[in-house]
Amino acid sequence: MVDVTLQAEVSELVFREARLLDAQRWNDWLELYCEDAVFWVPAFTMAGGYTERPDEELNFIYMNGRNGLEERVFRLNTGISLSSTPLPRTRHMVGMVMVDREDGDGIEAFANCQVAVFTEIRGQQLRTSSYEYRLRRTSAGLRIAQKKVPLLEAVIDGYFDFYAI
Amino acid sequence: MASAQSFAHYIDDRPGEGIFRVDRSVYTDPAVLEAEYATIFEGNWLFLCHETMIPNPGDYFTAYMGRQPVFVVRGEDGGINGFINACGHRGAMLLTYRVGNVSTIDCPYHGFCFDRRGKCISVRNQRTGWPDNFDIGTFDLAPIARIDSYRGMIFGSLSQDVDELSDYLGAAKALLDIFVAPAPAPLEIVGGYCTYVSNCNWKVMHENGPDAYHAPVVHRNFADTIAYRESRGTYEGVNKTERGRLTARIESASYDLGNGHTAFWNERKTPEAYPIHAQRDELAKRFTAGQLDWILGRGRHMTIFPNLLLNDLASSHLRTYRPLSVDRMETTIWCIAPVGEPREMRTARLRKFEDFFLPSGMATPDDIAICEAAQRAAFATGARWTEMGRGSDPAFRVDGPDEAAKALGFKPKVSSTSWDHEIALQGVYRYWLSRVNHNGGAHRG
Repeated sequence: MVDVTLQAEVSELVFREARLLDAQRWNDWLELYCEDAVFWVPAFTMAGGYTERPDEELNFIYMNGRNGLEERVFRLNTGISLSSTPLPRTRHMVGMVMVDREDGDGIEAFANCQVAVFTEIRGQQLRTSSYEYRLRRTSAGLRIAQKKVPLLEAVIDGYFDFYAI
Repeated sequence: MASAQSFAHYIDDRPGEGIFRVDRSVYTDPAVLEAEYATIFEGNWLFLCHETMIPNPGDYFTAYMGRQPVFVVRGEDGGINGFINACGHRGAMLLTYRVGNVSTIDCPYHGFCFDRRGKCISVRNQRTGWPDNFDIGTFDLAPIARIDSYRGMIFGSLSQDVDELSDYLGAAKALLDIFVAPAPAPLEIVGGYCTYVSNCNWKVMHENGPDAYHAPVVHRNFADTIAYRESRGTYEGVNKTERGRLTARIESASYDLGNGHTAFWNERKTPEAYPIHAQRDELAKRFTAGQLDWILGRGRHMTIFPNLLLNDLASSHLRTYRPLSVDRMETTIWCIAPVGEPREMRTARLRKFEDFFLPSGMATPDDIAICEAAQRAAFATGARWTEMGRGSDPAFRVDGPDEAAKALGFKPKVSSTSWDHEIALQGVYRYWLSRVNHNGGAHRG
């Protein structure tokens, strides 16, 4: 049986993260991540799968620690990154939230996500991915310990950053 | 054969006056792209793949040479053969994955079967429907006219009528040697790759590689972000990212290597951040001081015309290009590294690669954005010329090798005193013009 309370709690966090990204409320968004959080977007292998060993293989993004995400936010805020100025508008559509497991280490959860990304130059683009979360209970509430984002598209049209996946 | 159209009016090359300009129509004119397909992408040497991508017999790699799908496959004897990726019968594409392993190549359409030398070895229902003197060889796969390799880099040409690869690479060979030689083992392609599509002419992106002039502007935000990272005290030693080259005035040079190939180097401000720096004692036993200057002391960047970029700056990478239309192109990028390098070096190399490169990095997206902006403006025929004259004054250039080139033993056509000059780009466009004015690839240039 689905633990309805847990399902609601996890869904709320997943939806809140997406909403904060769309609202470009970066500091509130960063608060959802543990200080030692891993943010991981694996690359594709030539054979058609995803890379699995981040310390030995390439990734689109691999940030071991919230610092890395803070650096990316810093870069957006420099105002001199052409690819992020003006920032694309995004709308995340997150669905199929499922809690896979809960144990002493925390919670594993899954979701699918499509992000509509709009810039005047490129128009609307759609980016599709899955979210594989590891969540941790902290004194501040449920927080993200790891988020893995395998992308659907193996050929990237344009470019993207954390807010557009 | 393509018509003998001249594109000479697109290049305003007046060496005596220090003027070098390119008409921006080269980025938008469909006739230019047709000529490029005929004389460059389907008529001259192209980079295809690295040997470590197909290590075993039967391993194959698929690619495009211009518009033409091809594959290379390793044979029983370890040799490499290449073919047009189309069945000899009704032309269906044979291999649809990027890489794989085959003992025979079976057409998914009518079941014709080929060996790894491209010979047709079986035809479905061969005993009926064909004449008595049926020749199965009719269906053999069309080979890539020339296949050769240098330092593990496999090149092919769809035209038989090209220079030997060694002559084509020319002065670039000494620099390719440097990319391979410092490694304690041969280079390999690290697992994972990325293909991305950009809304610009392939030449706009190709120019952005040898152009170091843009780096302190386009990548200022990257340097600022790394400075912010370092101000917080994380990332030391090999994990540290070089940013001196983006923010400080440093020693450098750039080269027109001939045949459209280019290179530049810059002095490393923080050589200890370079992954193989830890092996300097071992390297010192194998190389002269002059060579070590190049290997450890200089970030290096090179392009092999028209579709290979190699660099070894903060991280090391290999990149290849192909045009899709006048204003759209595809890039594929890999991380390259010495086989068996210590794990912490490999990890640091990867993190730095991911920081800067890829369409998800903190620098490449800005390169893509500026290239796309240049492409949109290229349709503005009211502003005709792209200026590439920087460094043309004799005070900033030497015909032939400078001291650094002599120390390594290569002979560029022109050496320039700075990496942010445009001398190398002039070489790219002089060679480019010699190709596209080549009467459809019928003659050798």
